[in-house]
Amino acid sequence: MMTLRTGLLASSVLVLVGCAGSGGTVPVVDSSRAISNESLNAGAGMTPGQEQQSAPAESGVVVMIPDDAGGSRAIQSYPLDVQPSLQQRPSQDPQRSTATPSGGDSGSLQADEQLDGPVLALLTVARDQENRGDLTNASASLERAMRIAPREPQVLYRLAQVRLAQGDAAQAEQLAQRGLSYAGGRSTLQAGLWNLIAQARESQGNSAGAAEARQKARVTL
Amino acid sequence: MRVQPLGVVLRIMGRKRRGRTAKKAGFWKRSSGWLFKLALVGLVVFAGLVIYLDAVVQEKFSGKRWAVPAKVFARPLELYAGQRLTKDDFLTELGALGYRNSESARVPGLVAVSGNRVDVHTRGFQFPEGVEPAQKVSVRFEGPQISAFSGAGDLVMARLEPLLIGGIYPAHNEDRVLIQLDQAPPYLVESLVAVEDREFFNHFGVSPKGILRAAYVNFTAGSVVQGGSTLTQQLVKNFYLTSDRSLIRKGTEAIMAVLLELHYPKEEILEAYLNEVFLGQDGQRAVHGFGLASQYYFAQPLRELQLHQVALLVGMVKGPSFYNPRRHPERSKARRDLVIQMMAEQGMISESIAQQAQARDLDVAARGRLADTNYPAFMDLIKRQLRDEYREEDLTSEGLRIFTSLDPLLQRKAERAVEGTLKRLGPAPGDVEMESAMVVTSAQTGEVLALVGGRNPQFSGFNRALDATRPIGSLIKPAIYLTALEQPQKYSLITPIDDSPITLDAEPGRTWTPQNYDRESHGLVPLHQALSRSYNQATVRLGMELGVPQVLKTVERMGVQHGWRPYPSMLLGSGAMTPLQVTDMYQTLANGGFNTPLRAIRSVLATDGEPLGRYPFAVQQRFDSATIYLMQEAMSRTMTEGTGRSAYNQISPTIRLAGKTGTTNDLRDSWFAGFSEDLLAVSWLGRDDNGQTRLTGATGALQVWAAFMREAHPVGLSPAPPESIQMAWIDVVTGLGSDPSCPDSVQVPFRTGYAPLPGPGCRPIINTEAVKEGASRVMDVIRDWLP
Repeated sequence: MMTLRTGLLASSVLVLVGCAGSGGTVPVVDSSRAISNESLNAGAGMTPGQEQQSAPAESGVVVMIPDDAGGSRAIQSYPLDVQPSLQQRPSQDPQRSTATPSGGDSGSLQADEQLDGPVLALLTVARDQENRGDLTNASASLERAMRIAPREPQVLYRLAQVRLAQGDAAQAEQLAQRGLSYAGGRSTLQAGLWNLIAQARESQGNSAGAAEARQKARVTL
Repeated sequence: MRVQPLGVVLRIMGRKRRGRTAKKAGFWKRSSGWLFKLALVGLVVFAGLVIYLDAVVQEKFSGKRWAVPAKVFARPLELYAGQRLTKDDFLTELGALGYRNSESARVPGLVAVSGNRVDVHTRGFQFPEGVEPAQKVSVRFEGPQISAFSGAGDLVMARLEPLLIGGIYPAHNEDRVLIQLDQAPPYLVESLVAVEDREFFNHFGVSPKGILRAAYVNFTAGSVVQGGSTLTQQLVKNFYLTSDRSLIRKGTEAIMAVLLELHYPKEEILEAYLNEVFLGQDGQRAVHGFGLASQYYFAQPLRELQLHQVALLVGMVKGPSFYNPRRHPERSKARRDLVIQMMAEQGMISESIAQQAQARDLDVAARGRLADTNYPAFMDLIKRQLRDEYREEDLTSEGLRIFTSLDPLLQRKAERAVEGTLKRLGPAPGDVEMESAMVVTSAQTGEVLALVGGRNPQFSGFNRALDATRPIGSLIKPAIYLTALEQPQKYSLITPIDDSPITLDAEPGRTWTPQNYDRESHGLVPLHQALSRSYNQATVRLGMELGVPQVLKTVERMGVQHGWRPYPSMLLGSGAMTPLQVTDMYQTLANGGFNTPLRAIRSVLATDGEPLGRYPFAVQQRFDSATIYLMQEAMSRTMTEGTGRSAYNQISPTIRLAGKTGTTNDLRDSWFAGFSEDLLAVSWLGRDDNGQTRLTGATGALQVWAAFMREAHPVGLSPAPPESIQMAWIDVVTGLGSDPSCPDSVQVPFRTGYAPLPGPGCRPIINTEAVKEGASRVMDVIRDWLP
């Protein structure tokens, strides 16, 4: 666990420095912070209201990394195309209705490519399970999210990450490839997926393939 | 530890006996020694018997008490804004789960409907990956989807508990849903004690007072109303003993009842009784315990039962077949009302409450509804997989919980589509019944959502979806066109293919001259049209150009290991597959070129919640997503202008679908395989004796498929191309690059870098050939009008 965290931290710093040579960033649309004990009991489907207060004023991708205290903090944020659905979750009113009609004509995206309430909630639950080392259930939660939004590359990205952590690098690579096939026009996410593919290939002993994937990550960014 | 009280009792009993024997010995001096010895022997034998019985009592009661068959669950229904679900389907699911209508959904199991809004108090469920709490949620519907969802606080989604769809039983078996005492509804324990054993909380296992009272009550009533056995004795009888009615057994029963009471508290005995008692026979399955009986008779969890329902079950303890509420409703109601009356007489309920309860209907759930645990074809699929991975005895006795992907709502729609269409089409020639099979999967995840194994879906016989291996006819064609489109330098959607007569050497010494279905040749046709119109001559020519082994390899890459030999006739589908295999093959097309093993089981949990098996989602990319996009484009033309277009008589034309018809020689098999963004469905029609059906893929299987899709409210295929696709304007006649401003120009997708260059401008001259042809067609029509 610690080495994984350190690795994530190190690689994320590399991204900040501008070198995308190593994977490990987590391009998940999520603005949550350390999940409190109360919210652990909230169960799937409950998005703790507290999360929204830590969200930056402008909605966007916030890449989270776990810190030593067991919480997590934002290291990178960039505007993203899922904004419409997040806007319907204003950060100040915790009692608001979280219903998000997904069939709306918000932008050119497919309805199921928007990260709205349920998918976001499940990604939060999954990350929580992953942080506790419960990869099996994290995987189950992500598959549940995938059934709701099968074309959402961010879900596939997270699932690929979990597979890699579970030691199934071949499947991690395939899932990331599948994520890429749905990530058209989302260059940051594409770079993240290519980096993940690079990691997966590396751990399968395919260093040439890994280098190629890293090259692609650099080009897409 | 537990032996100690028995030892004490034996010592007490022994002392008593010894005292009495000594006294008697004073009277019978002459035979004293003899009698004493006899008594001693008797005592020793009795003590031995008691010790033996005590071991029996403890051994079975302290270990695993029951063999509980594995329970199989459907997918849980997810609720969130944007979910594709109609209000009617939602209410159907709630009905199957035994939710009851009410003014406001105050407690779990209640639902309140007003207009397009449905409030429901869910029951909560322990899922493999976490607990779903019981909670009140509000769902609004708009057309085929949930338009708004809300619950307490920030809730954005909730799940209903999954429907129990079956169990895995040995040939003859007891089944039960284990409950704990605190899950018993109000009045259950009270009424049970009132009716069966009034002294239960006071006696020590047997009740002389109870026997006397029963005798009195039965005497005054003139019939057997009450039994004299205590609940403990009944439990012992069912739990340890056979059902013969000898005095010895009665004695053994009494001793064991006393022993049981010595070792275990009343609550534990009562809980065991609630789980053990026999309450009905469902075919070969014996319904034991109040937990399962509640599901079986009311389709509701036990804890939600109301007074009149509790009284019905308690009344049935005396004779589950005699008082079966489905078979003998009047008799059963009389018994129920008597139980309620007894409760009123003993002061548990007021007279007015009793009268209200007696006025209620039996409220027994109808059988054959969704709730009925009858999905033989799907259960067959599940069992085959489980039997590969688990021992039979573990499946039938360890209380495993198996979570599957079955969607009961889609299953019902698939069954109705099969039944309705077969009825409409009528029997095959010679008045032979037609058979059918259908497989429905989630296009993106490869999960099996519905499975129909024959025209009568309730009949668990030959499972055609899994076992009918039939030639697939033109369903093979996408594999040929896919092989072609993988070579973008040679083939695009508009590459001209020659649909003129062709003769091949099939086997040594034999030639083969395939015909088109309409017995006509169509000359040069664009590739997409050769597929969408299912032209045989063009397809065979293309297939021979690519090479039969190449095509068969593509079929394998699509997911089906077939072992076919590379004869040219394979190009028109002389190779055979089961409907499930066809589904596997088309899954790769529906899923953007990624092969996903079809899955029906999501996870298997041990009785304590420990996961035993997980079946994670896995994919493997087999085809480039751009190539698959082109295939989907061609196959969607099958639906809009080709052999599949009659589907849109039933389905809204705004929904983009892709598919392929299949017909085999002499119209023996009628196939259709097609998909939307979210659903893949394969249907087959044919005869078990492999005779003729008079149906093509379009007039038979497509009709089943369309009837299903109409009700399933599919999401249309995404027309958004992947990055390696470019759109180009071309002239429909010449196939050369054109401009959107030109007449007869259409936009066609190409692999990036392989589109024709923009043309020199619009075609200046009118294509005279086409005009002539059109004119002569008009003349033909006019000629037909003339006498």
